[in-house]
Amino acid sequence: MDKLTIADREFDSRLLVGTGKFSAPQVMARAVAASGAEIVTVALRRVDIDNPSDDTLREIDREKLLLLPNTSGARSADEAVRLSRLARAATGIDWVKLEVTPDPYYLLPDPVETLAAAETLVKEGFVVLPYINADPVLAKRLTDVGTATVMPLGSPIGSNQGLKTRAALEIIIEQSNVPVVVDAGLGLPSHAAEAMELGADAVLVNTAIATAADPVEMASAFKLAVEAGRRAYRSGPRAAKRSAEASSPLTGFLRE
Amino acid sequence: MDVLRVNGSERRYDPGEMPGTLSDLLQELSVEAATVVAEVDGVIIRREEFGRTPLTGGQSIELVKFMGGG
Repeated sequence: MDKLTIADREFDSRLLVGTGKFSAPQVMARAVAASGAEIVTVALRRVDIDNPSDDTLREIDREKLLLLPNTSGARSADEAVRLSRLARAATGIDWVKLEVTPDPYYLLPDPVETLAAAETLVKEGFVVLPYINADPVLAKRLTDVGTATVMPLGSPIGSNQGLKTRAALEIIIEQSNVPVVVDAGLGLPSHAAEAMELGADAVLVNTAIATAADPVEMASAFKLAVEAGRRAYRSGPRAAKRSAEASSPLTGFLRE
Repeated sequence: MDVLRVNGSERRYDPGEMPGTLSDLLQELSVEAATVVAEVDGVIIRREEFGRTPLTGGQSIELVKFMGGG
């Protein structure tokens, strides 16, 4: 598969994986390995003072994997910027998955706050990967302020609904001059393959892997689907038609 | 009585009992410094500075770390 380039880094894998919701750290680590992902997202939260030794990320090999902190939980640009600065202090790297989701029911990203936060973070030297609704105009505005990618949603986070935003995603992919990472709502490997066939540069999956009965096997299935979708896209797929077009010759029938 | 606000909860100390530095506080809480980022009154403190960051009563301290997330 051709390499994925984000900012100044190259990756062999086009599948990004989230580390939330796994039943145990060991399962998460095995699923991440099976997915082939080189970028894994993590969240920043208060230490549980009553159980400070709980370290769900101890199994992650930080030499091999790029930790991509998210700003989940932020409801405003200010909160997202604060979380990003804390994350940078923790990792020593500048990458951040920017998400600002004021509404806890649908967890849809706030476009105004996301754009404001992105502008501040880019000025502070962050490599910003913003989680957005599938809005081509917003995607353009974000890349204009210098984000490293855009990460439009397929459907609400954790909903497993797949590509409900397909038509808008196609426009974003057509117009974007930075990698498009379809994030959120991909419930099955076929959804991931569909996004890649459309020309998405990568996808991010968490819930569908973490909550499967066998997360390691599901991670492997997503890996194959992302590769299949990418290779199909690169093969130049032909458009759908309303009527049939025979695959076999239309001459030489026995009935004449 | 000295009071520190740690991750939103108040911790009360008798005079002279309060941890002197951020490192002392982490030790008291059995929190491993290597996994933590700290903010004192809204200012991020780098890990190398934990031992050199004195605490005074009334301060608000946030201790955060990475967890699984999407």
